[in-house]
Amino acid sequence: MHVIGIDVGGTNTDAALINEEWEVMGIAKTPTDHGNILASTKSALEEVLAYHKDNAFVQLHLSTTLTTNAIVEGRGEPAAVVAIPGPGMNLAAFDFDFPVYLVQGYVDHRGRVVADICSEEVLNAAKKARADGAQALAIVGKFSQRNNSLELAAKKLIVEAGLGFSQITLGHQLSGRLNFPRRIMSAYLNASVAGIQKEFAAMIGQLKADNPILTDVRILKADGGTMGLAESCARPVETILSGPAASIMAAQALSQYTDENIVVVDIGGTTTDIAAIVGGEALYQRNGAVIGSYQTLVPALYTVSIGLGGDSEVHINDGQIRLGPQRAGKAAALGGTKLTPTDAAVALGLAELGECSKAIEALKQRAHGKFDTWEGLAKAIVDVFAFQLSAAIDEVYQRLENVPVYTVSEILAPPDIRPKAIVGLGAPARVFIPLAAEQLDLPWEVLPYHASSNGIGAAAARPTVALTLHIDTEQELMVIPELGVRTNINRGLLFDQKQARQIAVEQTAAYAQKLGLTDYGLIQIVEEETFNLVREFYTVGRIFNLRAQIRPGVQRVR
Amino acid sequence: MLKAERSVGLIFFPAFDWCITPDHPEREERLLYTRDQILEEGLLDIPGIYEYRPCVADDNHIQRAHICVPSVAKTVTKPHRIAVGGTMLAADLVLDGKVGCAFALLRPPGHHANRVVHGSRGFCTVNNEAIMVEHMRHRLGPGVRIAIVDTDAHHADGTQDIFYNDPGILHISLHQDGRTLYPGTGFISERGGPAAYGQTINIPLPPGTGDQGMLYVMENLVTPILAEWQPDYIINAAGQDNHYSDPLTNMNFSANGYARLTEMLNPDIVVLEGGYSIEGALPYVNVGIILALAGLDYSHLREPDWKPDALRQPQNVMPIVQSVVAQVKQQWETRLQEDRQEIFGKARFYVRERPIFYDTDQIVEKQYERIRLCPHCSGWREIYSHAAGGRIRRTKVAIVIVPWLACRSCRQEAMDDYRRLAGLAEFDQVFYHSCEEDVYLCTPDHHDPLTL
Repeated sequence: MHVIGIDVGGTNTDAALINEEWEVMGIAKTPTDHGNILASTKSALEEVLAYHKDNAFVQLHLSTTLTTNAIVEGRGEPAAVVAIPGPGMNLAAFDFDFPVYLVQGYVDHRGRVVADICSEEVLNAAKKARADGAQALAIVGKFSQRNNSLELAAKKLIVEAGLGFSQITLGHQLSGRLNFPRRIMSAYLNASVAGIQKEFAAMIGQLKADNPILTDVRILKADGGTMGLAESCARPVETILSGPAASIMAAQALSQYTDENIVVVDIGGTTTDIAAIVGGEALYQRNGAVIGSYQTLVPALYTVSIGLGGDSEVHINDGQIRLGPQRAGKAAALGGTKLTPTDAAVALGLAELGECSKAIEALKQRAHGKFDTWEGLAKAIVDVFAFQLSAAIDEVYQRLENVPVYTVSEILAPPDIRPKAIVGLGAPARVFIPLAAEQLDLPWEVLPYHASSNGIGAAAARPTVALTLHIDTEQELMVIPELGVRTNINRGLLFDQKQARQIAVEQTAAYAQKLGLTDYGLIQIVEEETFNLVREFYTVGRIFNLRAQIRPGVQRVR
Repeated sequence: MLKAERSVGLIFFPAFDWCITPDHPEREERLLYTRDQILEEGLLDIPGIYEYRPCVADDNHIQRAHICVPSVAKTVTKPHRIAVGGTMLAADLVLDGKVGCAFALLRPPGHHANRVVHGSRGFCTVNNEAIMVEHMRHRLGPGVRIAIVDTDAHHADGTQDIFYNDPGILHISLHQDGRTLYPGTGFISERGGPAAYGQTINIPLPPGTGDQGMLYVMENLVTPILAEWQPDYIINAAGQDNHYSDPLTNMNFSANGYARLTEMLNPDIVVLEGGYSIEGALPYVNVGIILALAGLDYSHLREPDWKPDALRQPQNVMPIVQSVVAQVKQQWETRLQEDRQEIFGKARFYVRERPIFYDTDQIVEKQYERIRLCPHCSGWREIYSHAAGGRIRRTKVAIVIVPWLACRSCRQEAMDDYRRLAGLAEFDQVFYHSCEEDVYLCTPDHHDPLTL
């Protein structure tokens, strides 16, 4: 079976066809039709299918800006949140930019219900939300990942009242992580973009029906994994920011460095994205993706975006050159009006693009004082680019090394995350990566297909699934919020860590199976805590917090 | 958009892999629910609340406030070094202007650790605040005025011991009356040494004191004293065991009361001390302190079992609180007029002798201490310390300490004394510490290299 990966980005759409041997058969790059993502998908698919010479079936991996744009441009369905905060932070102070209706009810940190919801109040809140124009709804309770019963009860009431919401998202289903405001924002966004994703999924379903060689369609997520079409309708918020993830997946798929620590640098026109890979696995954001003004719990790969790119503004002050963070516009070599780092590279013969004479002309106009020749200025601009980039990379690692940790062992023996090589992507990578690598004293690699590799990244992505398991043996309870599981465990005091791990792995496998996944990688325990509960000098139970996931592997591509 | 009124540096270090013993109150679980509550409330996403990773303190930092017998390496574990390092980081963040205030929300605690350390007492081995204060003085110079307000339910006897005769420090401890609770000290009559008389202030509160009594003390005693003394920095040693649900104490404060206390005190640096109601109090008190420091609304904060009627303090409490406040206030106002010769004698030295019990390590220490009554400075001092019991062998050490801003003759006398003592066979070890010069000597030197 072949795989086609398509990334419908903001400017360009990248596509790649990959055969059974995991060789790239062909890639395509077309401008994105911003208003019509389906059309962009279709035309990229057609182009890349031109390389498809046999009758092999094709699996389609699709990454789009659909939900990202809907959120950033505020085009989601009008949605509201019914929140069950209980005491604590004053929720009104958060000043969410969407309607939030507060109702009573209180779950504490151990997941015990302290106060129930009031049916009448919940119904009134939902009716008010509907009357105020909400078409989709999210119901989110504080500590609902420890006890989902209030959210479930509220949903039941609202569904039975037949208020006509197109979608009701429950907070606990989206993430087992702790963070009530983020859960509210994630659930709101999920409810808001569900309609758009459903519509898109139906069209893609049609596309699949029309192309019998397409066997399966997978949607890319912010964590660099894939999910099925049906799943993408239930958890559409997880499809945000899949483009940047695709580029990191491409780097992993194509790089000669397989299991080492590397830094992935994707240099674009306006910005450069820096990502960290440690021991062959891309690092995640600590809490979740941030999109626009929304902080979410959506699992996402760690990237830092800096305002430095091929089209950055060039500032010269007192013999000091500074690049970015604003974009100057098209390079002068390509007919732009302002000098850019790209022009410096073109003029020096480091890149072939547009008209070299125009680049030199743009340099000459700015060459005076300390940089009184165009060659001197061009050289200095290229050097400053490399310097700013290497300083930013160093800062990223300093920040990562200072992420707070909560155990003595982690402080005393921190893992070595520093990169052993710098891997570059993006059109200007060939010019700037070797120079930045020199500054950082690291070997470098500019990837094949580096100018349009996101399609390859999408194709190389594999399914990911993650679960949170919370076991409280004093209460004899096991909770897996993502699956809605909240069951009793027997003989809690005899329960041990081995059993907890086993359950986490089994449940993850079962979940993967339920989602129809077969080709997934190893299941690993990525977070684990165990606490003895001691009350009045007796051990009365234990708490186990685990997070299990399918190892977010990537298919290596040749 | 929600934003902290004042930026807060949070050094959160729950030490999830450290305990004194598995069933000890100071165990892995202690800050678990606090972590869960802080994360779930989303406090760490609020602009202006920044989390930092603690650093690890080295021997030199610890020796600025302690004489560890036989050496720092043999008495202080890595978790303690992290707690100390995190507390020092809190001060650095404030001193560097990176944040408006800081909260070292970490364990193990420290306020029962005296200057001389043979082991652990009151769950503490080294004194986080005291080491931080010495670190601040080395950065800011000897003239800095620092007030420490200890709001743990237990008397801060260790901190009191370290700064007992230190004119640069004002030490105020609010606590449950020592007649009813460990460590059994902290009475109104403990007022400080000859050079800092009146700057040790103990406010013993009757069992049952609640928010009402505590706020009365803050309003009528602590706030006015601070306003008069005008410290450059206020440090709050924030024990959370005055909470009504604490299993080891008998007080009646609420999380909301603690937040209000923090707001009134307006400290630059808060350091967590005790507090062992790990589920019912700590999650809410800590969230309350963070919100109060950040200038955010804490009025929606309350505990699951909070009932206003059950928490009203008993009828007989308020008159006792008022009487304590009146006595302490009167002592504060007259502290400069009192005849110190009458209190400390006319000899060259003021002498005190006392036993010190290390409940955690079951060590008994006997101390003989003499402080030079010097007309020019706070006076050098000499301590003989005998310790035995628990897992340590019988030890006898002598210690010579030169205080901050010591006069020339005290420096000379102290050095001569150290040389004399070091020549005696009687002591297992002799120590010398000169605060301002940051000189620490030990004969014979059991000082092990830092084995990190």
